[in-house]
Amino acid sequence: MPSMMIETKGLKKSFDHTEVIKGIDAQVQQGQVIVIIGPSGGGKSTFLRMLNMLEQPTAGTVTFEGQNITDLPANKLDTVREKMGMVFQSFNLFPNMDVLANVALAPQRVKGSSQKAASEQAMTLLDQVGLADKAHAYPASLSGGQQQRVAIARALAMGPDVMLFDEPTSALDPEMVGEVLKVMQGLAKEGMTMVVVTHEMGFARKVADEVWFMDGGVLAEKGTPEQIFDHPQNERTQSFLAKVLEQ
Amino acid sequence: MQKKWLHRIVALLAALFLTVPLLAQTQPVQAAANDTSLADIKKKGTLVMGTSPDYPPYEFLVNNKPVGMDIDIAKQIAKDIGVKLVVKQMDFDALLVGIETHKIDMVLSAMTPTPARKQSVDFSNVYYNSGQSIIINKTDKNIYKNYKNFANKKVGAQTGSLQYDLVKKQIKGVKMTGLTKVTDLIIALKTHKIDGIATESAVATAYVKNNPDLMVLNHQFNLSETDSGSAIAFHKGSGTLVAAANKTIAKIKKNNLTEKYLADAGKSLKVNVADTSMWHYRSYFIKGVGYTLLISLIAVLIGVVLGTLLALSRLSHFLPLKWLATAYVEFIRGTPLMIQVMFLYFGLNIPALTAGVAGVAMNSGAYVAEYIRGGIDSVPKGQVEAARSLGLSYKDTMRYVILPQALKIIWPSLGNEFISLIKESSIVSVIGVTDLIYQLRLVQAATYKGIAPYAVAMVIYFILVFGLTRLLNFAERKMQHA
Ligand SMILES: Nc1ncnc2c1ncn2[C@@H]1O[C@H](COP(=O)(O)OP(=O)(O)OP(=O)(O)O)[C@@H](O)[C@H]1O
Ligand SMILES: [Mg+2]
Repeated sequence: MPSMMIETKGLKKSFDHTEVIKGIDAQVQQGQVIVIIGPSGGGKSTFLRMLNMLEQPTAGTVTFEGQNITDLPANKLDTVREKMGMVFQSFNLFPNMDVLANVALAPQRVKGSSQKAASEQAMTLLDQVGLADKAHAYPASLSGGQQQRVAIARALAMGPDVMLFDEPTSALDPEMVGEVLKVMQGLAKEGMTMVVVTHEMGFARKVADEVWFMDGGVLAEKGTPEQIFDHPQNERTQSFLAKVLEQ
Repeated sequence: MQKKWLHRIVALLAALFLTVPLLAQTQPVQAAANDTSLADIKKKGTLVMGTSPDYPPYEFLVNNKPVGMDIDIAKQIAKDIGVKLVVKQMDFDALLVGIETHKIDMVLSAMTPTPARKQSVDFSNVYYNSGQSIIINKTDKNIYKNYKNFANKKVGAQTGSLQYDLVKKQIKGVKMTGLTKVTDLIIALKTHKIDGIATESAVATAYVKNNPDLMVLNHQFNLSETDSGSAIAFHKGSGTLVAAANKTIAKIKKNNLTEKYLADAGKSLKVNVADTSMWHYRSYFIKGVGYTLLISLIAVLIGVVLGTLLALSRLSHFLPLKWLATAYVEFIRGTPLMIQVMFLYFGLNIPALTAGVAGVAMNSGAYVAEYIRGGIDSVPKGQVEAARSLGLSYKDTMRYVILPQALKIIWPSLGNEFISLIKESSIVSVIGVTDLIYQLRLVQAATYKGIAPYAVAMVIYFILVFGLTRLLNFAERKMQHA
């Protein structure tokens, strides 16, 4: 039986006295791919960022691999974050170092890998995302799709147990969306646990084990792709999907 | 020579840190009852004299070595006590504080023993009294016969000096021009901005000898006993040392040695004015440039390290550290660099160059901190998030990700800071660090030329600043390509 990877209980978040996450209870099992969809401003990013404490919850708890990480001191939190890779909409590669160094930095500094070992591992990962030939290029010279694939390799270099994606393809030109989704699909196939916020409904339908619909700071509905896309129960899910699929 | 306002500030500062117990520990407290001043000097084997060698014939530099009547007298005193004389150069304003803080044992710098000064130091008997004179342009010799002719005219004197007071009190309706340096007054006179300069007779004679367009009116003003003469200043309560000095002074007076000293000074001056071309004095300027660059460079390097620490402290969530750094930055930016440098030099027992560099660096650090804080702020927030989400610690995030980007952003500002330090570091000349400004003053004093050394220094500063600006722009472009 698969073990519990992440669990949230009564998770809430307020910004300046406005509550944007209004109590979420959810579980992610090991090996599961969760896709979160929902309208803009619904709280998807805020929820995802609370899973690795980039955003501190106002109330409630997050449990990761059996450990409550909600109020961990900074140094313990670093150890937890190693195991949770995160990929951002805006890539956030480090512009002051080349691609290889971007990928090799954290293993060296955090895990204490030797430079040689870290570089070799980085090359393997870059090869895996199809960018071995760009190892010595600087991020600014890469296309958006290439940058995002490097960002995925960078997160993988820490050997995470779960990968969090926040709209990884939203900033990309349409012709580059495919190459990034392909890499993510490959990861899912290898059994990586993933939580993905995206507007790519095709990807959700094909890859997700569970789809969560989030709106107004609550988890309005969740189910298998078939349940959500073909037989949505919630009225807001229906109108959201109607609008999205129309396009 | 007498300057009041600046000395008052310095004296106030001195009083301030003398009352701070922590700092006062380095100041041995001397009770008048058991005065060991003379014994201390004998034990030490050296007698340290402070002077401001820009005042011929009393003290000036020949081939970068201080000479003049005051030096000769000091040598005689040291010889009579049986110790070695050490001469320390400082700005005139800094001399008395030097005594109060035991940086020097005595001051011979054509200093008049005024009642105000007597409150803070002990004086020997007067060793020389040359009287007061007025320097005029030769072309005006039929207009001005004595000081009374200057009613309603423009007269210059050194700011806060005895002569300044005399002119003000004794010439009716006079319009005063006060400048710090005699060389600057000479320029004003030659360009007819003023009609005469009131100054010491010995000084007036020296200048006029070397400026054929000028002449001197001797024995001016209505002088009282306390208004004139030069004496040696010592630390308060140095009775035995003062007595020893007085013994030597009496001997010098008896044998009329001052005449010989002045004659020797005149000869030394001829060495200086034999060739007064700026090229002849190039070694002075080169030394000045060296020190100016050295001070600016070390200061900016320390400033960057200090500034980084301050910026990180200000961004820290640990409140006491944040407040401390904020207070430091605001305090340093809210007080003049000159006072900071003086405070360091006189407040702590460190050499002038160290104090100068430290003062400029600490000052620069406060400004650099603000640049760096701005630089860190301008690195996109996503960079920190990406680094932290990889498990990098705050320290590593700063070191490998944020600071390199921030430094690249603020590189032009840092370059400008270095360039402005080259100009601002000239402040250290007040504590006797031989930077370009200090050296320029020496050349002025040695050659009796006012404008030429200014012009040379200005050109040198311009070349330094312009050259460095170019160099930094070049490096910046290189960096952008990296
Ligand atoms: N740092 C912040 N300060 C104040 N308000 C915030 C902050 N971050 C998010 N919010 C607000 O919280 C709400 C949820 O935002 P969030 O970014 O989580 O939504 P989202 O579902 O990810 O939207 P999108 O699809 O546009 O990315 C929004 O109303 C947003 O304005
Ligand atoms: Mg979002």
